[in-house]
Amino acid sequence: MNTSFLRISIWVYLAIFFAYLLGPLVIMSVTAFNSSGFPRMSPWECLTFQWFGELFQDQRILNGIKNSLIIGAGTVALSVAMGLAGALMLTQIWPKLRATYYTIIIAPILIPGVVLGISTLVFWDRINRMLGLGADSFLSNGIFLTVIGQSTFIASYCMLVLVARLQRYDMALTEAALDLGATHAQAFRKIMLPFMRPAIASAAVLAFLASFENYNTTTFTFGEYPTLTIELAQKVRYGITPAISALAFIIVALTVFFALLNEAKLKRQELVAAARKEATVEELAGKIKLPSFFAGNMAAVLLVVFAVATITVVGTATAYNPAQCIADVREQKQLEAEQRIQELRKQREERRKQQEAQEAEQGEAQSAPKPSNNSGFGNVFAPNSLGGDGDDGASDTESEPSNNSGFGGVFDPNSLQSDQ
Amino acid sequence: MPGFLKEFFNRNGIGMGAAILGFVLFWTIGLIILPQLSMLDFSFRPNLPPPEIGGPKDVYTLENYKYLVFGPEGGSQDYNTVDLRVFFRTLVAAVCVTIFNLIICYPIAYYLGQTEGSHIRIFAIMLIIPYWINEILRAFALRIIFGETGVLNTLFVGLGIWDVPFDFIRNDIALYAGLGYAYILLMIFPMYNVIESLDRNQIEAARDLGAPWWRIHWRVVIPYAKPGISSGCTMVFMLSAGALAAPQILGGPSSLWFTQLIYQQFNDNNDWPQGAAYAIVLLVTCILFVLAVMRLFKVNMGDIGK
Amino acid sequence: MSAGVGVDLENLWIRFGDFVAVRDANVNINGGEFFSFLGPSGCGKTTILRAVSGFLDPSEGNVLIGGKNMKGIGPNKRPTALIFQNLALFPLMKIWENITFSMEIKGASAAQRRKRADELLDMIALPGQGDKLPSELSGGQRQRVAIARALCAEPDVLLLDEPLSALDLKLRQHMRTELREIQQRVGITFIYITHDQGEALTMSDSIAVMRAGVIDQIADGKTIYNDPNTAFAASFVGENNVFRGKVKKVMDNEVLISTNRSGDLVARVSTANQGKMSEGDAAMMFIRPEAFTIAPTGAAGDHFVTARVNHEEFEGNAFNIFTEGEGGKEIKVSIPNHGQSFEDHTGQNITLEYETRNAVAVPAGELAAE
Repeated sequence: MNTSFLRISIWVYLAIFFAYLLGPLVIMSVTAFNSSGFPRMSPWECLTFQWFGELFQDQRILNGIKNSLIIGAGTVALSVAMGLAGALMLTQIWPKLRATYYTIIIAPILIPGVVLGISTLVFWDRINRMLGLGADSFLSNGIFLTVIGQSTFIASYCMLVLVARLQRYDMALTEAALDLGATHAQAFRKIMLPFMRPAIASAAVLAFLASFENYNTTTFTFGEYPTLTIELAQKVRYGITPAISALAFIIVALTVFFALLNEAKLKRQELVAAARKEATVEELAGKIKLPSFFAGNMAAVLLVVFAVATITVVGTATAYNPAQCIADVREQKQLEAEQRIQELRKQREERRKQQEAQEAEQGEAQSAPKPSNNSGFGNVFAPNSLGGDGDDGASDTESEPSNNSGFGGVFDPNSLQSDQ
Repeated sequence: MPGFLKEFFNRNGIGMGAAILGFVLFWTIGLIILPQLSMLDFSFRPNLPPPEIGGPKDVYTLENYKYLVFGPEGGSQDYNTVDLRVFFRTLVAAVCVTIFNLIICYPIAYYLGQTEGSHIRIFAIMLIIPYWINEILRAFALRIIFGETGVLNTLFVGLGIWDVPFDFIRNDIALYAGLGYAYILLMIFPMYNVIESLDRNQIEAARDLGAPWWRIHWRVVIPYAKPGISSGCTMVFMLSAGALAAPQILGGPSSLWFTQLIYQQFNDNNDWPQGAAYAIVLLVTCILFVLAVMRLFKVNMGDIGK
Repeated sequence: MSAGVGVDLENLWIRFGDFVAVRDANVNINGGEFFSFLGPSGCGKTTILRAVSGFLDPSEGNVLIGGKNMKGIGPNKRPTALIFQNLALFPLMKIWENITFSMEIKGASAAQRRKRADELLDMIALPGQGDKLPSELSGGQRQRVAIARALCAEPDVLLLDEPLSALDLKLRQHMRTELREIQQRVGITFIYITHDQGEALTMSDSIAVMRAGVIDQIADGKTIYNDPNTAFAASFVGENNVFRGKVKKVMDNEVLISTNRSGDLVARVSTANQGKMSEGDAAMMFIRPEAFTIAPTGAAGDHFVTARVNHEEFEGNAFNIFTEGEGGKEIKVSIPNHGQSFEDHTGQNITLEYETRNAVAVPAGELAAE
């Protein structure tokens, strides 16, 4: 009784926790498919893929992706190299210097990204001036500064990943290679590097992702080369559209895909290793009977399901035409808008009559927004959401007018225009 | 030291040794130490147009730091209340976010670390996936949820719990939720790593001796997990105090974060030395605060990052 | 494989900071010899091996291989191959790739390497196992692969750093024979590091006994066992009973020692110390357990020891008697079992007899730790 209660509460807690963690991503992804001009789940208007089209026509986003890829590649190369060198140094540094050295190379993780960005900018600007170079020199180039700034702390992450693996490396292996006639470079390339390869791959992926999503440091260093994250931040700060949801959906999908792929690969390696262990000599020499890719591999199965789902969605997207639905919605909106306008007119008429009785003209401007709402700023949205919980059909139509008056409403006219 | 260097080159070879040493020196000195010193130096200089830099006017001054405390010279107030308030609010909020994260993450870290089964891997993947999504997009996702016509307002107003939508953004709830959300993984992972290595028998033994569950945690698990807890807390505190994206996207129009002031000094006022001074103040305060708290809880610096 | 390349250590000193790991070592190892460095852990024997293989620069002195000074020559250029204590097989390479790594470095083709690997696998009695990974072999198999890998480099000198220490007793004993056989077949110089005197005695042509950075004695196994130079060598190699005392009288190559507890006893002076011991010197004498016989009660003289028996045990091939010795340490006596009747002496005083040639006297010195 007591333990089952405990178990249930654990699962409830887990459910709430993961809802907090994953819910926002799911909701954001879903809003990419709603034709509403403001990213939202409800009211649901029409299933649409238009935001993806819009996304791929946005030159700034595309340019941002290009810059992010260039900077990401540079950061991966530099920070993996520095991280590996740093890790190698950590394993053999003079013991008295070890603690100081570790503090220095781990510090960039804790230093706020803003501070790193500023210090990078200030320092290289000074170097640039000391060398007498102009404002357009290589050292003040946005790509160079961003790679340098990001690598400062990303190399620390790489170092942590690499040193974990390096601690399991037996230095005697390198010595054995040297003893058998290899040069230091050969021993590194043929023995240590293959051993470190999985960790280097993880570090590279980690470095790329960290570079790709970095904002705090990059915002000070990007110069003429805004990355995708910078562009996104500009967009999100000054107005949000479902095109961003569409991008988010793509990123979420890619992430899930690669996570599953990686998991499936790992699982498969485990299975192969297990199979080898049991294999006899003859089998090893010739062919080993390997288990099929899917046997006992949950992740692989999920991966295939995921891939099929993606293909289905893309297929639907090319075939599906939401024009009819959108047209319907628009029609309803227009109807609703007309209704509202008529209502407004009626009210205005009444007012005018009243005011005419007292005084003319003056109150007209003030009274215009009043009829739809109460005057408080929060209440602007009330009719919309109240309508939303009412009967479905009507709610869709009701939402539009209120939107025009809220802060999100700025975008609605735009999206309506782009529809046409 | 030359002996150490000679041994280093003996062990790694001349070429490899030079490459390792070169990268390490470039990183530690060129990327970590010199830029910080350079920023420190810069923060003590007046804001001059480029031609005058290095000229007679380029002298050391405390002006930039005075500004943070006393405000512009001849200003109407004795103290720079606006900036100081933002500064302390940032620190207090960062502490709150850290505590909030610690409380919600500890049970998860404990569960993941002490439970066996294939579903743990799935949970781990589910934990990591949000972390691979762009920080800006995560903040954006929360804005969709907390917006005035967002999911939460629609839901609560729809259920009739509230009459009017609640302004999460203006009340900073969105901001705190966003900061907490952004750094969950950084709190869970260090704790998970430590708790995972805790021998299950210890807990069994404690339970066997009749300890109630809270005492097991208080006396066995938490002391053992202290390095992980301090590591997680330090990272979450430093990163939330230094966060920029979440406050910019989720903060209300009037609620500034200290990093936003720094950002303004650099990008809007074009006053780099002033921005550098603010950055130094933020960095030094955060480090001192972390060191003080670590001292209080008797944790070593070497435990961070493990 | 070129046989007969010798190794010489000349006035070799190796220091780590203030710590002296090797103190003035002078060793001549003949070509084709199986040479062992025997000593407890931390005595500097591995340091010597690393200096020979080139991983360590001597602080002073020289390492000569085949008469050629190795100063400034890196491990990858020396005609030595080292077998590591943990074997250091490359975990990600298959067995055949491991074995022929030295050929890969020289740029040999895969076909050549495969062929050579097959030959060596036949030699170490692991035919057809080339495609396995090191983790898929047993301890003894891995051991043999490590030897094959080292031999594939065609070294003049093979260095072995306690390679058997990770194996279980039975396998260890088997591998001793096998190593000795391989050495005799390939005919190159083997330098073997061990703390196990059984390994050193069974395999080696010559043994150097080391203590705290100093080489006490270099000789063949029989000499070391029967005619140790120092107290350390006497106590480290094989079981030995020690009697402490002072030299009472010197008679040619024999001395009479007045022992602390067992009266005056006569002993032969070990060869290296002849003429160096004089009256009044602190001395130690050593008698092996098997050198004693039980004498009739009441016999007395300078080659009789009388002591009270603490306990006895039967070991199968011998009866072991433990009597009271100095400072709580017991004297062990081992009587071979010929099927004779054997009475229990526990609690009684017995008289033990030895022959003078079986008692060795050396100047007092440090003993090996138990």
